[in-house]
Amino acid sequence: MDTDRFQVITPSTRADYRDLVRGLTKIAWPEFMLHDQVADELWHELLDRFPEYQLALYDTENKRAATMGNSFPLRWEDSLENLPKGGWDWAFMKAVQDHKDGLSPNHHCAIQVVIHPDYRGQGLSAPMIDAVRAVTIAKGLQALIIPVRPSEKSKYPLTSIDDYITWKNEEGLPFDAWLRVHARLGGKIVKTCHESKTVRGTRADWEAWTKMKFPQSGEYVIPSALVPIQMDIEKNEGVYIEPNVWMVHEVV
Amino acid sequence: MNPNRFQLITPNDLDDYLDSANEIAESSWPEFMMHDPVANENWHELFDRFSDYQFAMLDTETNRMAAMGNSLPFHWEKDLSELPEGGWDWVFIKAVEDHKNGVKPTIQSAIQIAIHPDYRGQALSTKMVQAMRAIGDSEGFKYLVAPVRPNEKSKYPLTSIDDYITWKTDEGLPFDAWLRVHARIGAKIIKPCHEAMTIRGTCAEWEEWTGMKFPQSGRYVVPGALNPIEMDVEKDEGIYIEPNVWTVHDIR
Repeated sequence: MDTDRFQVITPSTRADYRDLVRGLTKIAWPEFMLHDQVADELWHELLDRFPEYQLALYDTENKRAATMGNSFPLRWEDSLENLPKGGWDWAFMKAVQDHKDGLSPNHHCAIQVVIHPDYRGQGLSAPMIDAVRAVTIAKGLQALIIPVRPSEKSKYPLTSIDDYITWKNEEGLPFDAWLRVHARLGGKIVKTCHESKTVRGTRADWEAWTKMKFPQSGEYVIPSALVPIQMDIEKNEGVYIEPNVWMVHEVV
Repeated sequence: MNPNRFQLITPNDLDDYLDSANEIAESSWPEFMMHDPVANENWHELFDRFSDYQFAMLDTETNRMAAMGNSLPFHWEKDLSELPEGGWDWVFIKAVEDHKNGVKPTIQSAIQIAIHPDYRGQALSTKMVQAMRAIGDSEGFKYLVAPVRPNEKSKYPLTSIDDYITWKTDEGLPFDAWLRVHARIGAKIIKPCHEAMTIRGTCAEWEEWTGMKFPQSGRYVVPGALNPIEMDVEKDEGIYIEPNVWTVHDIR
């Protein structure tokens, strides 16, 4: 890769940052994942409260954003082993609350790394994670923690996340491609967080999000979900509780 | 469309009949479905013993096989509601056995209707079922039964087949597209057959058939399968038991 081709940009270095990254989040997730209540309520806080923690890799040749990384600082004084099972949703609420309360943060938490499909398989995940880690260092924070979405688990919805994270490839690295990206760059698995994101919707919502039908109550496997969703027809509610994996990148 | 474009042919009408038929079969079934031992051991019997029951639809404009149908006759004196759980595997073995023993057949059973991917969505499936029924009619049978593979159930692997067959469209027809094809031309659902096909393979075979990995014992959702498979890593064996649906067409 031509290292000069991709530049790290942030909302403060590029006035048109918002326009450049527009649409990237939508590309990164299956439709139903865009209906996590915590994300929907708090997304604007990223730019309102933590603009210097939002960044993108800008392709200077094609004048477009190739990747995006979203993160924020939060305060966590306990051991990382005790990070909550609430994962992603918890971290986002905690960061906003800490900021409101004026608590000084000590950890850096990333909640999204997106590679535009046109730029996948080009080795951009490493420079992207390096760029996020550079923020950890620049801000003087202890470590970068990430509730990682092991996206290939969607092919194994009946396997427990605790078992899934033990699966290795022949090199002894994690079986899952995203866990592997982090492991290759020095990230360590801390533990699973079983309720990292919670998505609720009516039956009609889920039918629109997934193009499936849910004629009766029960568990359903839906495309790109890491575990089955639970549909309750009487309550007219489907619930998806996504497990993620807490990983840590130490910075020295 | 030219109404005479598609013509029914028999195995003797086309030089490369078997090759063309194989091509359609391979494009119609997930790879693991090609490893049912009953099918593999007995397939030649269709042409050796029951050649009058095999047919195809030829596209006269391109001289290509657009669809193919396979059926066979067997002896059954009990009520149709007593047709066995063994479904597809059972009826194939039964028909061959009856023929070997010189037992006079009383019922026609469908074995396969497959449409070439290039010809889907052109209502050929209905024509094919009608053509199959016409064979039964000419042989003097009263019923055409079919252990139907409700192929859209692969999107609902955690729902029981007994529940799945009760699902309806807004028109009151079966939810499943293949069950609907049969229902539209008058077929009735008799009952599910829970062990219509049984496919066994080693861990390595299943990995090759599915492109997945099976690092531990347990249930796995496999693309194209109507139920999860059960993998036993200690015994090095994965088992898939496919449920189908016995349906019946009154021929006369």
